[in-house]
Amino acid sequence: MMNTIRIFAPLAWRNLWRNPRRTLITLVVVSVGLWSVLAFNSFLNAWTQASKDTTLQLLLGQGQIHAAGYMDDPGVETLMPPPSDGLLKALGDKRINAWATRLVVPSVVQSEYKTLPVMIVGVDPKAEGRVSSIPGKVVEGRYLNGPDDDGVVIGRHLAERLKTGLGRRVILMSQGADGLLAEQSFDVVGLYDVDQQTEDYYVFTGRTAGQKFLRLKDEIAEIVFTIPKDQDLAPVIRSLKAVAPDMDVRSWKQLSPFLAATNSFMSGFIYIWLSVVFTLMAIGIVNTQLMAVFERTHEFGLLQALGMKPRLVLIMVTMESTLLIGLGVLIGMAMAAASIWVTSDGIDLSGFARGLELVQGGQVLYPKFDAGSFVLFSLVIWILGIVVALWPARRASKCSPVEAMRMAT
Amino acid sequence: MTDAIVSCRGVSKIFGSGELAVHALREVDLEILPGDFATLAGPSGSGKTTLLNMIGALDTPSSGHVVIDGQDLGSLSKAQLSDLRLNKVGFVFQAYNLIPVLSARENIEFVLELHGLERGERRQRATDILREVGLEGMEDRRPAQLSGGQQQRVAVARALVSRPRIVLADEPTANLDSRTTGELVQLMYRLNREMGTTFVIGTHDPRVMEHSKRHIELLDGRIASDERIG
Ligand SMILES: Nc1ncnc2c1ncn2[C@@H]1O[C@H](COP(=O)(O)OP(=O)(O)OP(=O)(O)O)[C@@H](O)[C@H]1O
Ligand SMILES: [Mg+2]
Repeated sequence: MMNTIRIFAPLAWRNLWRNPRRTLITLVVVSVGLWSVLAFNSFLNAWTQASKDTTLQLLLGQGQIHAAGYMDDPGVETLMPPPSDGLLKALGDKRINAWATRLVVPSVVQSEYKTLPVMIVGVDPKAEGRVSSIPGKVVEGRYLNGPDDDGVVIGRHLAERLKTGLGRRVILMSQGADGLLAEQSFDVVGLYDVDQQTEDYYVFTGRTAGQKFLRLKDEIAEIVFTIPKDQDLAPVIRSLKAVAPDMDVRSWKQLSPFLAATNSFMSGFIYIWLSVVFTLMAIGIVNTQLMAVFERTHEFGLLQALGMKPRLVLIMVTMESTLLIGLGVLIGMAMAAASIWVTSDGIDLSGFARGLELVQGGQVLYPKFDAGSFVLFSLVIWILGIVVALWPARRASKCSPVEAMRMAT
Repeated sequence: MTDAIVSCRGVSKIFGSGELAVHALREVDLEILPGDFATLAGPSGSGKTTLLNMIGALDTPSSGHVVIDGQDLGSLSKAQLSDLRLNKVGFVFQAYNLIPVLSARENIEFVLELHGLERGERRQRATDILREVGLEGMEDRRPAQLSGGQQQRVAVARALVSRPRIVLADEPTANLDSRTTGELVQLMYRLNREMGTTFVIGTHDPRVMEHSKRHIELLDGRIASDERIG
């Protein structure tokens, strides 16, 4: 076999350039097809990554810990003490980037005009700033100063709906620890701007201030944590579960199944594109190669008359397509690598930011070069290309020497 | 008679079927002996090409037997027929004999590659045979850069280089002028005399027949006459 390759490779190479135009067409078809797959894949990954990051950075974190029962029925009865002992030590592990505690309970907010259901979130602003992007999204006024800050920061859209604003007061109502209604007025000290859904639903105040309002001691509702980039989440979740066996430890995927589903749908989308590209490419390859084989019918007959076995003709023609498609694949890879390199400083989508916010996409995408998928997709295109080109090659090997010689005269 | 290179016994070839059937050969008996320099003549459509194809294992008969060097074509697979052609037969066709992307030397080396010869020996033999047919200095030209006569010489060289038992040429001079025709025939005749190569040449050309040592005449798919000369 090695011997066969050595003999036919130069011949195959020269045959490619007999009809440069046709060879170039095939090269363009293969390289542009592969380029679109690779570039689209890295763009899609960057986009999925960015939109996932954006969502996780709002409130979700990489994972959260609650008291058992809180997720089914969040309220003052399903709270837990702040982390201590083993759990505190586990949260200090280097596999965890940052963590923060929150008091999160359902509540009702009231202005002079309207009453709306919200979640009141008591935070420690310093810790919160390390796990959430919302403290940095205050567009009017300020964020909270400390755990005992008893002002509230509300979403801009919520402020519009309540017809209230900075410096005005709103009333929050909720069930207190004693089972009685807790009601207190709060100064609106800041407005934040993210997406509408979040803005409408989450009202922030100091954690201690919130506990006081609900007549609690130091109970909290959740611990949210983030992990370093490139750190695997699963082992972190496992070790947290081990130190807090009675608690409810969940990853972001469990906390937001919708986001997880969107994520995997997006990465599945590339295979749809891959099959579209491949189908078009296959049609192109089969067409041009069949034409090439047809034009050389006489030659294949001659080769067989000289004693070349049909199997060798098949191998020779397959080598031509292997070289041709392989060359196209290399060019496509180079083009894709170049376009990823050009855009690796980030593609700024802030122009579409409003539109993207609806689906919680990121504003700047960072396409990354991923060697694994590069090699995988290139190999898939190359091998499938060779496989479809087997059809024209079989045609070539079926040329009858007698017919071929008759055609010449 | 057992030392015949090719023997045909009752060979018939029918193309097509029913009303459209063409009897290209009818019950042909023929033996080609070592050292023959035979010409195969006859009017157009008399079956010359068809018979040469049988003798060269390019085609198999509809009935009867063709035995080449002891092997009956009827019992061979396509791949075995290929091997038989590679090892025992050299062909020179009327035109377009050469692989266009290969130089004269490479065209010859290609056959030796199929034989599995080493690079050094391939080169040596190709160079030698090209000198033998008078193409020294043109080894690296592609077919398009050679005249019709030169191309046919390359084809003769290629047919001879693997030292086949028999060389078949079907109207090798049809596209050549009379001077080049003369040269090509002289070449084949010399190779027959000096190297003992067996030739069977299908032709209409009197200049080719001039050198013939055995003249076979086909008529309507039958051998009308078969005579040795001199
Ligand atoms: N593949 C084929 N299909 C149908 N008929 C064929 C085929 N090959 C040959 N024939 C017919 O068989 C007969 C003999 O053909 P052949 O080519 O052997 O003649 P020829 O003597 O070589 O003629 P020419 O001098 O014109 O080359 C002709 O009638 C021809 O039409
Ligand atoms: Mg003929």
